[in-house]
Formats: sequence, structure tokens, C-alpha cells
Amino acid sequence: MDRECALLLPGVCAVLAGSGSSLPDDTSLEKLLDWFTGITEAGGSLLESCPCLLKLISTVVHNAASDPGVLSFALRLTGLLAATEESFKIIQEHSVLNEVFNLQHWQEAGLWEDPCLRIGWIQGLRSMLQHPKALSFFVQSEFIDPLLQLQTDTSLFIAAAANQMLAHILLFFQPVPPAGCKGVDKKEKGDGMTPTGADYTAVVKSISGYLQESLVPKESKNDRQSLQTLKLLALLLAQAGPPLRDKLLQTVGDSLEELVTAGSSELTLPLMDVILSACSSSGTDERITRLLSSMLNINKPADLIHAAAAFLRRGHHDTVHTARAVRILLLPLDIMTGQTLLGTISTADEHQFSVVEQLKSKSSCISMICVCLSNTPQITLTPPDVLPCLPVSIVTAVLSLLKMCSGNSPSSSTGCSEASRNVIGSGKVQKCALEALTTLTSSPGAKERISEVFTVLIQYLENPDSDPTVLHKSYQALLKWTSVCTDFSFITDQLRHDLVEVVKKRVCDMRWEVKDSTVEFLGHLAGVCDSIKAAAEECDASEALLGGCSTTPLLREALQDSESYVRASAISALAKTLTHRWQQGATLTEEEPEIVSRLLEILSQDSEGFPRRAVVQYFISWYSSHSPPSSSSSSSLLMQSVRSVLSQGRADLDWEVKVHTLVLAELLLDEAFSGHPGYKKCSDSHHASPHAYGVVSEQAYTLHTHTATHTEGAESDLAVVVEQGVVSVLLSGLVDCDRPVALKACRLLITLRETVCPLSLGALDASAAMATVSCELPGCGWGREIIKILKMKKSDQAKEEDIADQRGLNGAEEGGDSVCVSVCEALRSLGLDERMEVLTQSSDHIHNSPLSLLQDILTASATHTKPGEEVIVDCY
Amino acid sequence: MKLYCLSGHPTLPCNVLKFKSTTIMLDCGLDTTSVLNFLPLPLVHSPRLSKLPGWVSKDGSANLEKELKECAGRVFVDSQPEFCLPERELLDLSTIDVILISNYHCMMALPYITEHTGFTGTVYATEPTLTIGRLFMEELVNFMERVPKAQSATCWKNKEMQRMLPGPLKDVVDVWAWKRSYSIQEVNSALSKVQLVGYSQKVELFGAVQVSPLSSGYSLGSSNWIIQSHHEKVSYVSGSSLLTTHPQPMDQSSLKNSDVLILTGLTQMPTANPDGMLGEFCSNLAMTIRAGGNVLVPCYSSGVIYDLLECLYQFIDSANLGTTPFYFISPVANSSLEFSQIFAEWLCHNKQSKVYLPEPPFPHAELIQTNKLKHYPSIHGDFSSEFRQPCVVFTGHPSLRFGDVVHFMELWGKSSINTIIFTEPDFSYLDALAPYQPLAMKCVYCPIDTRLNFHQVSKLLKEVQPLHVVCPEQYTQPPLTQSHRSDLMLELQPPPMPYRRCSVLNLPHRRRYERVYILPELANSLVPSEIKPGVSLATVSAVLHSKDNKHTLQSVPKPPPVAPSKKRKRVLEEPPAVLAPKTLLSGAVPLEAFLATLQKHGFTEVKVEETADGHILHLQAEDTLIQLEEDGTHIVCDNNEPLRTTLRDLVLCFLQKL
Repeated sequence: MDRECALLLPGVCAVLAGSGSSLPDDTSLEKLLDWFTGITEAGGSLLESCPCLLKLISTVVHNAASDPGVLSFALRLTGLLAATEESFKIIQEHSVLNEVFNLQHWQEAGLWEDPCLRIGWIQGLRSMLQHPKALSFFVQSEFIDPLLQLQTDTSLFIAAAANQMLAHILLFFQPVPPAGCKGVDKKEKGDGMTPTGADYTAVVKSISGYLQESLVPKESKNDRQSLQTLKLLALLLAQAGPPLRDKLLQTVGDSLEELVTAGSSELTLPLMDVILSACSSSGTDERITRLLSSMLNINKPADLIHAAAAFLRRGHHDTVHTARAVRILLLPLDIMTGQTLLGTISTADEHQFSVVEQLKSKSSCISMICVCLSNTPQITLTPPDVLPCLPVSIVTAVLSLLKMCSGNSPSSSTGCSEASRNVIGSGKVQKCALEALTTLTSSPGAKERISEVFTVLIQYLENPDSDPTVLHKSYQALLKWTSVCTDFSFITDQLRHDLVEVVKKRVCDMRWEVKDSTVEFLGHLAGVCDSIKAAAEECDASEALLGGCSTTPLLREALQDSESYVRASAISALAKTLTHRWQQGATLTEEEPEIVSRLLEILSQDSEGFPRRAVVQYFISWYSSHSPPSSSSSSSLLMQSVRSVLSQGRADLDWEVKVHTLVLAELLLDEAFSGHPGYKKCSDSHHASPHAYGVVSEQAYTLHTHTATHTEGAESDLAVVVEQGVVSVLLSGLVDCDRPVALKACRLLITLRETVCPLSLGALDASAAMATVSCELPGCGWGREIIKILKMKKSDQAKEEDIADQRGLNGAEEGGDSVCVSVCEALRSLGLDERMEVLTQSSDHIHNSPLSLLQDILTASATHTKPGEEVIVDCY
Repeated sequence: MKLYCLSGHPTLPCNVLKFKSTTIMLDCGLDTTSVLNFLPLPLVHSPRLSKLPGWVSKDGSANLEKELKECAGRVFVDSQPEFCLPERELLDLSTIDVILISNYHCMMALPYITEHTGFTGTVYATEPTLTIGRLFMEELVNFMERVPKAQSATCWKNKEMQRMLPGPLKDVVDVWAWKRSYSIQEVNSALSKVQLVGYSQKVELFGAVQVSPLSSGYSLGSSNWIIQSHHEKVSYVSGSSLLTTHPQPMDQSSLKNSDVLILTGLTQMPTANPDGMLGEFCSNLAMTIRAGGNVLVPCYSSGVIYDLLECLYQFIDSANLGTTPFYFISPVANSSLEFSQIFAEWLCHNKQSKVYLPEPPFPHAELIQTNKLKHYPSIHGDFSSEFRQPCVVFTGHPSLRFGDVVHFMELWGKSSINTIIFTEPDFSYLDALAPYQPLAMKCVYCPIDTRLNFHQVSKLLKEVQPLHVVCPEQYTQPPLTQSHRSDLMLELQPPPMPYRRCSVLNLPHRRRYERVYILPELANSLVPSEIKPGVSLATVSAVLHSKDNKHTLQSVPKPPPVAPSKKRKRVLEEPPAVLAPKTLLSGAVPLEAFLATLQKHGFTEVKVEETADGHILHLQAEDTLIQLEEDGTHIVCDNNEPLRTTLRDLVLCFLQKL
């Protein structure tokens, strides 16, 4: 804690002790506590550095008029202070502990009703219970019973906190397991910290007694208590070492059995959680295995399906139960689609009958089918000896379900016709099934069905009633299946024609979401095709799927779309489509110049940010993927447009456009200086630095390395960079009011400085040549800002060295004309390093400092005592 | 109550309801699908159509060269197209009292019914229905009269001949009910019998029943009808829609508590969702225009076209179709576009509120103003000079057999960059295209039918809960082409009563009550006595007076003051008019109390026996039986009048006299 804060703290304590009502805002106390926690965790002792805190606690606790919020704060603070054994002793000597956590006192004062106080009590104790002394205090004060009561508190937060607390006590203080056992985080318990066995035993006894008693609901209304207890049990079993675990299981075994038999729907999942936790920690306990078997045999189909899904999600490798769970999950699909997934089952099966009944009701049918579908990918990956059918049959089943959903199923005579009516047109089932189909690509043997998959997906794309999300998912599925496909011979002319027609139609859809998905699909398809090409040179997915139908005209049309998202997607799709050509260094097509001029038009005129960002990214990908032997026409068009992009992107209003422009500038720098010995690539070139209020999308680009030998001096490269407008972009970025922009620009400028005029070398003669390279600063806007900075620095320098040559600069300020400055000089005199330091701190670092917090509290209280003046808290 | 079904077409119904003493025709639909068997009527001389070979049967035995022509592998009738009329033999049409029209699509057969049949009744319809119905009829007459055909083909209809014909012609039924179009005079005469009504307006029919139209949400002025007497309610649901398009929303609640609900006019395209189809329409249109092609939309001149134009109004900018001209060609195009703007009170709320701004309720006004939409009465005249391609043309008739559309089919059919988009659901698009094959033009079928689908109708019926539902038989089974879709049919409990052309249904509802009015002075004289809480009874003696299906109880005329003459007195004594009626009894005899009373009066040996309806008391000493039943008490004793009287009096003690 710094001195200033330490000085302010007593005053703040006085304010808090007085009354809490004058706090600047209701998060102040939390912030204060966070700060204290930070200090404690860093190893500092709060008691030593701020004795006033103890006084504060005792004043607040004794003051009957204290605000419950402040009281709660005091309770939690006490716990924090007493978290180490030494400080615990000190606090106990002051007899504060007994008063603070005295439950009776709070109940009598009527404050216990306030949930704020109850949670403070729990959290205070929770922070304190880090050592055996605290446990003894806890046991002696007989806090265990009230804590158990809080487990079913009316406030969900309190109930959850109480549960966490109970679990903490049992787990934290459990005897260290013998080596080799699954480790439990023990938080560096020293030898001397072994808890007094008696205290721990007492706690275990009360808690397990309670568990046993409260697990089975006494009356039907008491489900909540059972639920809470099950949650606690799951927490415990997941982490308990063998002695504790065995003890717990022994205690609650009977109750668990009773619960399983009772079969309450609400408790199915929590119960399953407990049993699975027990399973994974205890291995092959016979009783637990039996319980699991019973859970997978309950006779309510909806609950059973959830239980089976929960089991499968845990990924146990128990063949018998996995097989059972798989059968449960496949049954509804089997019934609905009429695919024999489960082999020949006796038709008189009672369970099957009740599943059929459930499937006849619309809501339960949809929910059951969705659970089944979302688990199918996992099912296909289970070992073949567990599966009742080939994985490919499951793909077939999902496909026939999809057909059924769109009303196209030719006959449902084998399935259940009443049930199939429930899924016709159900968007939810369609989405689930499409998601399942997408992930099923990795199932063994799935590729056998690829032709059918394509047919169904194209039907979905064609269906006028498909909603935008369904269409989007269909596109995703199509891409995924295309990406795993190596042989496109199955694609018939008809299929190809249908796909081309549907894509053409969908780019003209009324709904922008659909147009957007379609345009995106075209881009991704080009991407997928590229990756396939890399793998197998001879096959061309785009050619195979779209039959030589060029997508560029469709995408060009989409550049005119009225919806900005569509324009943006079209731009990135175009970039993806053309990447391959760029990489090959192909000559310009006729349409490319037209596309470029349209893109530059968008960059300069579009009113929305997304398309403008996409334009800059388009040039980033072009620049980073074009290869040197590329045709001169292509290269010159690229360089020409890059220049315009830099000058327009620099002046954009959108900070992301500006950051992307800087990325493009960086690429140019990389290319110019990559052979230069002093050049280090900027560290954040691939991973944008964390911004306080935005994440720059990670544009993955492959950096083209400069292959030509670097023979000339860096000054000619610098001159090229200046001429390209890169330096202007960097300088204007530096004075930008958006921090991410300024930060990025500053980093790049530092890199440039290190490369072209390293200070450390002090090689004046090298710099002399460099100094001849100058750039022009406009007399207004960013240029003026830069000039101002340079002038300021110069005058500072002048004072010291009495060297003044400011004609140009003075002139600039007065006349507003552009001026030329030496790049090197500017780089050196801009104070980049100090700027960098300021910029790397988050913009709210001042407002978030503890000092500012303390000051806020003091100011607010001062204002509060002088009514009439209002303080405006800066919430920025 | 009887229902005579004169049309088998589920969306173009024509039924007659006999209810109480009235005969009401419900709708007057004209089945125009018959025209698909005829050759198109070209507006401009078509060398292709004029040189078609005549049809001769293979063995040469049947020669109908003049009447039938072979075109694109099918045989068509070469004559003025004919329509299939509602059945006219099932009942005497001159007995019809009123005709209720539910929407302009369902009145096209009106002239055939009201003219030359002796019909003397009244036709009820809303104002937009009449106005737009008239436009439709005028358009039809115009289409026919523009291309006169001297010849009328009848030989092929001969049963012997028809059996030998190929293809669809062989299987068409009721060919003798097919008739040529009516004339404009007949239209005018028929429509002069229309009486205008407003929604919820109650129209009395001979005092027997009341009819009232309700908004049905399907088209401008479209209505469902309630036909009710005091104790019976019949609802007639014709083309109705729950979608938010231009018309006023459907009034569902007034259909509640019907004894019988006659359900017709459900969607003809149960699997085509209108929203999806509208999307399909727009994207195909944009796709064609972008590729430099023309779009032809065969459509009716009112109805869905307003929604299409509204949708395009929003779509053309986003799809960059700003400069593409839209043409609407119909003899009534101008009237249709203008009339739609003046029926504010018949429009949905949104459009109504625009009128107060004041703005035209439909955006096609703006399209016309900005020259994006142009309308012409026909392809002749101004249109030919201003015609610019690529363009979108809306024109009739959707059957592709007559109207300006025939010309565009000939003009654009050969090029694959053009597209024809079918939006009207009334005709099979493949049949409509048959005489134009082979066709290079792209065909898109996106029928937009906003009428209720099966899902909506089952929800509606669940809500309004009619006792009985009558519907066309087509609704009681899944569509033929999709027999697995059991969701595309009506499943009701009790099952609906299906009808087909020429069915006569005895509706299951029995009339049980009739309302009778009581005059105030007579009511005043009544002395009600309460027999149980809330229920009072009174006896009344009165004269029942029935006139104009109204029944009134009037006081019995008082005998005139006693005349002095003896002669007169004798006359007066003759009728048994003023015999005082016997007092009526009510209540029940409580067994225990009655037994106690019997005991008190000396009847000691009483044996009680329980029966299905009550009790039998056996007075053993007197050898007498007393049967106490719910609706009667009998004392059976042999020739012992005093005993019977005593017992009777004892029973009467427990009963209340009115």
C-alpha cells in the first residue's frame, strides 16, 4: 500500500464508521474489499499497515444504526483479516471475532433478516476458515447448525454461498490423502496446520448427519432442500479424498437409493450429477454402479433421456452403461424415423410404448428429439462393440428426420405417423438436426452418405419456408461436408444445377440475413476449396460444386446491397475467392480493376463501418498473399490502390478501420525493411494488444518475406515508405484520439525508429544520410498536432542546448501550410517512449486506482455533510 | 335444416341452406379450371396457334377436326372457353330467397343464377365485394369479347365421343354444365340485385332469421356470414385469413357457439407458406432482372397483387431494381388500383390510420407517381410505345387461356432468360403452360394463398367450438399427392360432415325452441310463484298470434258486456272459451314426511318398495297402491272413492299450487 493511500485510509474508516449512506456509489465497498484482498494475497498484512481497520470493525459492529451494507462489509473484512493464524490471534485478543460473528446478536437486533448481512456472515467465515484455529472457533461457536439452515435460505445467492462454504469446510480440512491419490488442492497446508481431529470429526458428523436427513424430501414440497443437498453432495464427491468420500457414500447411500426409487423429475439431473461424481471418484463401487443402473432404468422417458445424456456427456468408459445410455438416446430416433438403429427390439417393450406416447405430444416430442440429436455425434464415436448399429445408420436416421421436418418424407409408415406430425416444420428440430449433421462428418463411415447429405441440404436451401438460421446452418453443414470430401464424383449435374440455382436465388433473398449467409458461404467455399487444393491438387471443390459457375458476379452484385453487413461479407468473400489467384500471381482479370474501384468507393463513401473495415482487410489479404512474380498489371494496381487505402483509411472515422490501415502499413514496413539488420517485427503484428474497449479481429495473413537481397541503404527504403504514405499513416495514428490506434501507431513508429535511426548507436554519419529523407506534414489536423508536439520538444531542447531552428515549424503554425520535416528527426523528437508508456495503461487506470476510490469516498462524504452541492461521479 | 351443395370446388363454393322458412344461397362460385381444356385466345394473330392440326382418332372413326386441335402433344378444344357452372338441377333456383356473397372471387357465377332462372330474391354483399366483383366480371367479359370466336364446340361433349378422346378431355366430368361467358348486360342485371351491407349489420329475412356479415380478413370486403334465429346459429365460413395483409382482420369471436359451421375456402396450397412464397417471388424476380430477363406474373387484377406491389415497393431498392419498369395490364387496372385506395374502412388498422394523415393507404400510389409502376388497359395503344425491357408485367388471366398474358407468353416464352412466376393458386401451372410447350422460359411456381391452413383452422375451431362442422370432402383426407401428411386434413370430434357436388345434407341440428313474445298487459296479469330459488312459474291463458314468423301471446279477448237480448246470450254460451284452467301442481312428495302423515291418518301397515323412478307404497290393510314417481303420482284403489280422495288430499298437502 502506498503512502498516500495509507494516509487517507483512517479518514475513510471514519466515514464508514459514521454512516454508510454517504458513499459515492454502491460498488465502493466491493472495490475497497477487492483492494484489501489484493493486498492480502500479495502477502501484505493489513492489520499491521492499517490498525484503523480493526477499530472500524468494532465501531461499526457496536453502532446499532450502522447501514447493513457497511455491516456486511465489516463482517467480510474481519474474515479477510483473520485469514492467517497470526492475525486471527490478534483479532481474537481484541475479542472482536465473537462480536462480529455473533449470530444471536444480529438476530436480536433484527438485522439477520437482511440478506446482505447473512451473505456477509457466510463470506466472512469463508475467508477466515483457512487454518485450524479458525475451524476450532467455528466449531466452538456452534455455527454449523445455522450454516446448514442457510443452505435452504430464501435467497438463492445465500443458499449457494452456504453450499460452497459447507463444501469448503469438508474439503479444505480433510486429512491429506496418501500419495498417489487424486490430488485435492490443499493450498500449501503446512505440517503444523493439520486440523485438530476432533473439530473436523465433529463437523463431518454434523454435516453428514444433515445430508442423510435432508436428502429425501419429507413431503413433496420439500424438493428444494433435496436439490440443494444434492448439489452440495456433488460438489463434495467431485473433490473428496477416499476417507471422506467413503464416509459420505456410506452415510447417504440409503437415501440416494430411496431418491432413485422415488424418481422425482426435478431431481433427476442433480441426482445423476451426484451419482456420476461418485462414479468418477470411486471407480467401481458396487452400490454406486447399482444406483447408476437404476437411474438408467427409470420409467419416465423424458427424465431417462436426460439422465442418459448426462451420463454420456461425462464420458465414462463403462461399456454396459454406455450401451444402455446409447440405446436410450437412440430409441426416439429409431421410432420417429423407422430406421432400425437398435436392431430388432421386442415390439411389446413397455418402455418403447411409453416413449411413443411421449412422442405424440408436441412439446415433449421436440424436446426429446433435440436431446437425442445433440448427442448423436458423441454416440457415433463410442466403440463399435457398444453401438447397436453402424454409425452410418445414425447419419441416415438424422437425414430422414431432416426430410420429415421439411414435410418431404415420402412415407412414415414404418415410423410413428402421429409423432412425425409434431416435427414437420419445427425450426428447433431442424436446427438441432443440422447441427448434429454438421458434427457427424467425423463419424466413421459417414462419407458413404455424402450424396444423400448434399441432396437433403440443397433441399433445405431451396425450401421457401426455411428460416434464416436454418439456412445458415444448412450452409455450415454443406461447408463442413465439403471440407471432408475428397471425391466429388457423386455430384450429379442435377445436384450441381440445383445448388447453383439456389445460391443464385438466395443472394437475391428478401431477408438480409439470408443474403449475408449466402455470400459468406461463397467466401468460405472458396476457402475450403483452397485448403482441399493444397491437399489434393487434382480435385477442385468449387468446380465440382458450382460447375464452373463463377461466383464473382454474384459477389460483385452484393457489393451494391443496401445492407451493410451484406456488403461487408461480400467484400471478404471476394477476397477469399481471389486469394488463390493472388497467390499464383495470375494476371488481372477484366473485372478486378472494377472491383477495386468499387471497393475504394466504398471505403471513401460508405456510411457504415463494417464494409469499410472489410475493404481494408481485403487489401491486407491481397497484399499479404500476392507473390513477387505476380504480373506487373496486378502489382501496379495493388500498389496504386494500397496508397489510396492508406490515405483514406487514415482519415476514417471508425477506429477499427484505422487500426486495419495500420496493419496494412505494417505489412509495407515489413516488406521494406525485412532485410534490414536492425528491423524487428512489431510484437503485436499477429495478436493485437488487448484494448480496453474492443478487440481487433485477428486477420490471419501470411507475411510475404522480402526475398531480394537488401543492398541499398535503409534510407532508400525509408524514402519508399514515405512515398507510399506509410509514415503519414503512422504519424496521424499517433495523435489519434482512439487509444488502440495511437498505441499501434506508436509501436510501429518505435520499430521504425529502431530500424532507421537507432539512438543507441549514436552513429551520426549514418543518420546524416537518413536525415535527408523527409516527409510532408499537412498544416492542419493531425499534421498540425505533430508539428505542435515537435515544436514543444524543440523548445524544451532549445532551452537546454540553445539550438533553435524553428523557422519551418513557426511558419506552419501561423500560416497553416504544409511543412517538410526530417523523418528521423521527427521520430527522435516525438517522445515516443513516454507516449507508449501512457498509452499502454488502460484509459481508466486513474479512475480505478485505490487512491481515487479513497478520494471519492472522502469527497462524497464531504459533500454529503454540506447538502446542496452535488458531486458528479465520473463513471467512465 | 338442409344443405344443397351445388359446387364441388372447395374454394369456389355454391351451397343452398334451407333454414326455418328461408332458402339461402351461400356464395356463387364459378369453377374456371375448365378453361384449361381450351386453346388460348391470342390477342395478336399467332401463326403457331392458327396452324394447329385438327384431332382425328387413330382409327379415323371420330373426326372432330374442327372442334379439337392438337397442340404440344395434347388435345384442346378450339372454341370460346367455357366455365363449369354450379349445379342447376338439384333444386329450383327460383325458390331462392337471398344469396349471401362472401368475397369477390365467390360471386363469378352470379349472372348464371340470377338471370333466366326466375330468381326474384336479393343478393347481399359488401361494397368492395360488389365493386371489385364487378371489375372481375367486366374484365372477364372484355377478355372474351375482344377475341370473338364464332364457333361453339359441342360435338365433343357427346358421351360416345368423349369416351374416345385422349388425355384429360376424356376424364372431365359435368361437361354439360359448362357454359360460355355471360354478357355485360347480364352482369349489370345480376349486380342490380345486390343490396349492400356492412360488417356486423343485421339483416332480417322475413322475421325468421337474421343474417350478418363478419370480416374474414381475406380480401377487401370479404366476409363470413352468421345466419341465426333466436335459438339456432349457423356460421358460414368462406375464404378467411389470419395473416396481416391489407384487409381488416378476421372477426373470430362472433363465430362462437354455432350449432352448425359450414367451412369452405381453406388454402389450396397447405404446404406453401405465403411468407416463404413472397420471398421466393421476390428473389426469383430479382434474379431474372439482374440477368437481363423479363418477368411475367399472371394474376388477377385485385387481391394478392396489392400485397405483391407493396412487397416490391420495399424490395426494389434493396435489390437495386430501382429503374426496372413494372407494368400492370388489365382492362380494369386503373379502377382496381384506384378503388383499393378509397375503401379505407375495409382495410387493416395500419392502412386505415394512414388515411387520416392523409396518405394513400397502399404504397402503389407512390410507385405510380414515381413512374415505377405503369398501368394500361391492354397491350394495344399507349403501352406498345412506352414498353421497355427488361421489365416486370402483371397481367391476366392466370389460366393463360385469355387476356393479355397470352401475348406475353408468345413473346417471351422462347427465351430462357425470361421467367414466368405463378402466384395465383387456382390453376395447376403445368396445365396452364401445356399449350405453350416446349417452353424455354423459366417457370417458377410460388402460389400465394393467404386463406386459413389446417393448423390455423383447427385452432380456430377449438376456440369457437361449433357443435357440428360441414365441409367439402376434400378436407377430410390428406391431399392426394401427399398421402403421408395426416396433418393436412381436418380431424374433429365429432367428425365433420363431408359434402361433394350434388350432395343434399340433412344437417343434424334439430330445432327445439321458438321465441314467443308476450304483450305487456298480459305479462302484467301473470302471478309468478317461486318453485325453487330463482325459478318462478306462472300459468298463462292467452291467444297465440303468428304473423311474419313472429309469435305473440295476446290476452284472451274479454267477452263483450252481457247483451240484454237472450238470443245473443245463447250464442255466447256456445264456445267453451273461458273455462277456468285447472290449477297446476309442483313440487315433490317427501317419502318420510308422507309416511308420517299416513301414520297419523291411520294407515299403519305401509310397505315401501323402491323402484327405478321412485317408490311404491303398499297400504296392505286397504289393499291400495300409491306410486310416487318423479313426474307423477298414482293412487290405485279399487272402487273406494272416499279412500282415494283422502289419500289424494294427503298427497296434495305436500304440493304447491300455482
